[in-house]
Amino acid sequence: MIAYAMNLATLIAINAILAITLNFIMGYAGIFSLAHALFFGVGAYTAAWIAMHVSADFFLTVSGAALLASLLSLALALPALRVREVYFVAASLGLQVLGSTVFAEWKSVTGGIGGVIGIPPAELFGIPLSDPHAFLALALACLTFVIAVTYGLVRSSFGRSLTAIRDSESAAAAYGKNVALIKTLAVVVSSALCAVAGALYAFYLSFINVESFVLDTSILLMAMVIIGGTGTVLGPIIGTVLLLLLPAGLSYLSFLPHTEIGSIQQMIYGLAMVVLMIFRPGGLVGGRSLGERK
Amino acid sequence: MSAAVPVLLDIRGVSRRFGGLLAINEVTMALEAGVITTLVGPNGAGKTTLFNLITGYLAPDAGEVLWKGRSLRGMPHWAIARLGIARTFQDLRLFTHMSVEDNVLTVMERSSWLWQPGGRRAERAKSARAAAILEMTGLSDKARVRAIDLAYAERKFLSLARVMATDAELWLLDEPASGLDLPSYERFLELLRSKAREGITVCIIEHNFDIVQRISDRIVFLDQGRLIADGEPKAVLADPHLANLYFGEHAA
Amino acid sequence: MLFLQLLVNGIQVGALYALTAVGFSLIFGSTRIFHVAHGATFTLAGYVFYELYSVAGEPWIAALAAATAGAGIFGVLVDRLVYAPIQRHEGSFFTVFVASFGISIVVQNLVGTAFGRGFVSISSPLSRSVELAPGLYAPPTAAISVLAAVVCFVGLHFFLTRTHIGMALRALSENPDLVRVFGLDPRRLSSYAFALGSLLVVPGALLTGATAGLSPALGNHVMLISLAATIVGGVGSLRGAACGGLLLGLAENLALWHLDPQWSEAVTFVVLFLFIIFRPAGFFGRVVTQ
Repeated sequence: MIAYAMNLATLIAINAILAITLNFIMGYAGIFSLAHALFFGVGAYTAAWIAMHVSADFFLTVSGAALLASLLSLALALPALRVREVYFVAASLGLQVLGSTVFAEWKSVTGGIGGVIGIPPAELFGIPLSDPHAFLALALACLTFVIAVTYGLVRSSFGRSLTAIRDSESAAAAYGKNVALIKTLAVVVSSALCAVAGALYAFYLSFINVESFVLDTSILLMAMVIIGGTGTVLGPIIGTVLLLLLPAGLSYLSFLPHTEIGSIQQMIYGLAMVVLMIFRPGGLVGGRSLGERK
Repeated sequence: MSAAVPVLLDIRGVSRRFGGLLAINEVTMALEAGVITTLVGPNGAGKTTLFNLITGYLAPDAGEVLWKGRSLRGMPHWAIARLGIARTFQDLRLFTHMSVEDNVLTVMERSSWLWQPGGRRAERAKSARAAAILEMTGLSDKARVRAIDLAYAERKFLSLARVMATDAELWLLDEPASGLDLPSYERFLELLRSKAREGITVCIIEHNFDIVQRISDRIVFLDQGRLIADGEPKAVLADPHLANLYFGEHAA
Repeated sequence: MLFLQLLVNGIQVGALYALTAVGFSLIFGSTRIFHVAHGATFTLAGYVFYELYSVAGEPWIAALAAATAGAGIFGVLVDRLVYAPIQRHEGSFFTVFVASFGISIVVQNLVGTAFGRGFVSISSPLSRSVELAPGLYAPPTAAISVLAAVVCFVGLHFFLTRTHIGMALRALSENPDLVRVFGLDPRRLSSYAFALGSLLVVPGALLTGATAGLSPALGNHVMLISLAATIVGGVGSLRGAACGGLLLGLAENLALWHLDPQWSEAVTFVVLFLFIIFRPAGFFGRVVTQ
């Protein structure tokens, strides 16, 4: 039971990092990405590769993962600067589908469908972290770090610039905001921090495969952010907890056939998205509707 | 105009076409330092388009715009703004979901990177200046209110407060007084005059005859994209042809 | 010969994509609603036909009528029950998009629970391939697909240019203010757009069911294709969406000439991505870059 709760807590911490970093671009910069799982994957595969071929040092692997993810995120920033709304959603979707295919097919690095197995435990200052308690602590520390960084940025001049661009891009530019640079930085920061979750995930499971980094994951993350509340600090965390507890909660309802739990979970959050958009578009925490700009 | 006044912004033979429509047709004019120039003309005369061309929001098809003698050709929108040209919009375009104070603060923050230079001292100076600007525009009690929740006149003053916060030398104001009630209107004129006395150069698009008369040092008349008159208010306003063309319907 | 075979397949798939994308584009153009649940309409129509024709053994014409009615009603209901309330409080683009996305998630899983997550296929004598030339095979469904597309496009063209409602719908996509001049209620027009747009998925759903087979996840693929075709063709242009659909169908199939099948979806998105970056206005559309 304790082990079960700890497992859930670790997964919540990892997913909360993903939801928070997605909210950073979605809620504050108005960049509605369906490719977040892609950067999660890049982080995980990079960390796994470094851990298996170079060193399992946590700081080294995380830095490598963040670096590669932020470089690749320029592929997302490019369309975000050119077009908006429908076009950007479509571009990010395309990127996600393309990325999943690469993950599945680039067998020498990602192991294809079979995935990467035998990732060694992370090492902190040379000490391997194989104890689940210690790993949970590490995950929570990372979560705290990510919250601190994103919260700090949102409250700073950078956050004001982001919100200004979201509210009126033309006015922001007319007042000297370098819109392209600011949006690119937002995407890069978001993807780099997202890769931290990828590294944690790879070390935690010691096995990763493409199924964790497909479009469905991006959609789940989007649902977490939207249901919790976009553009709020607490929203994505609450959304993560709710959506991860949902399958656990459903499995206690013994009348539900076990094979259908995944389906029922998706139906519930799909329905929640519809109902919230009609009655409370700001999500559970937020009041304001998302992406106000028409 | 005497040659002694330095020219801040020089518009030379600028044209811009939208499809078949020549929105701005070889307009040449200069904005001189410390002078309040009013742009008048019927709707669709190209006044706002001219602002868009000056600020780099649109690129001219022909001609060029010079800022203190230097061509602005090819410069991005935001970089032109940083030279010291600020504008308001007819539809305001406030940062609707930010507080009044944040609307002003963000305009002061020049760095687009993740942090601002100057540390805490700069931070304090910035807040103090924002407070002073809100005081001047009568928005002090509304500092924490979101822009979207302001009354109409307050929004107009916020759009002016944003311009003040930029430290720009040239203000381009697009119908800043339309829809203001009488007290706000007087307050607005007073604010504008005091700013002009401090040496700010203002170019203002205005339909209100009263304002045009009371505030202009100089009037530029646009019609169908062409500049058809440019001179001292008395001379321009006295021209019966122009009065007929435009002020006839507004003078009452 | 492989190339010719792929070309034939590509034309068949492309014709169906074109129809579906035109439906999406019609809805998007005239209502500005980003109806990603269009894919769900496709899945539903396909499964209704499958259930009635292949499982219950009803005559094909009855099953076709039910699938058509089902698609139209579903589209109109989603508009009335979900989009209309959101638009009443001036929901933004993303609010509507998220709701629509939610609907497609729900439908996909409902269908999966009811019919299983694997492929089912509508078997009919028409899906058996005929050897057209030595080594070149095509089933009669290929010809039917192209024929259905042509018939639907001609019908749609007449509807949009000759009828009052059709002209109003076109006016709506060009300039929403014009509609008031026509004296029509925009809400009612919106229902027409949804009904019409949703009907256009029916040939695609049935013929896909008869050739490649149906699966609950198919809705996602259809949504992606419709979206991609609309953008590649140029937002607001029905002709563009049709060309875009055809192009994507061809690209997806011709890619098999040199690539493994698992890359075919990626090819679609490379095409889309390149269009978004280099030609965001599409073939026929208006420029929308910032």
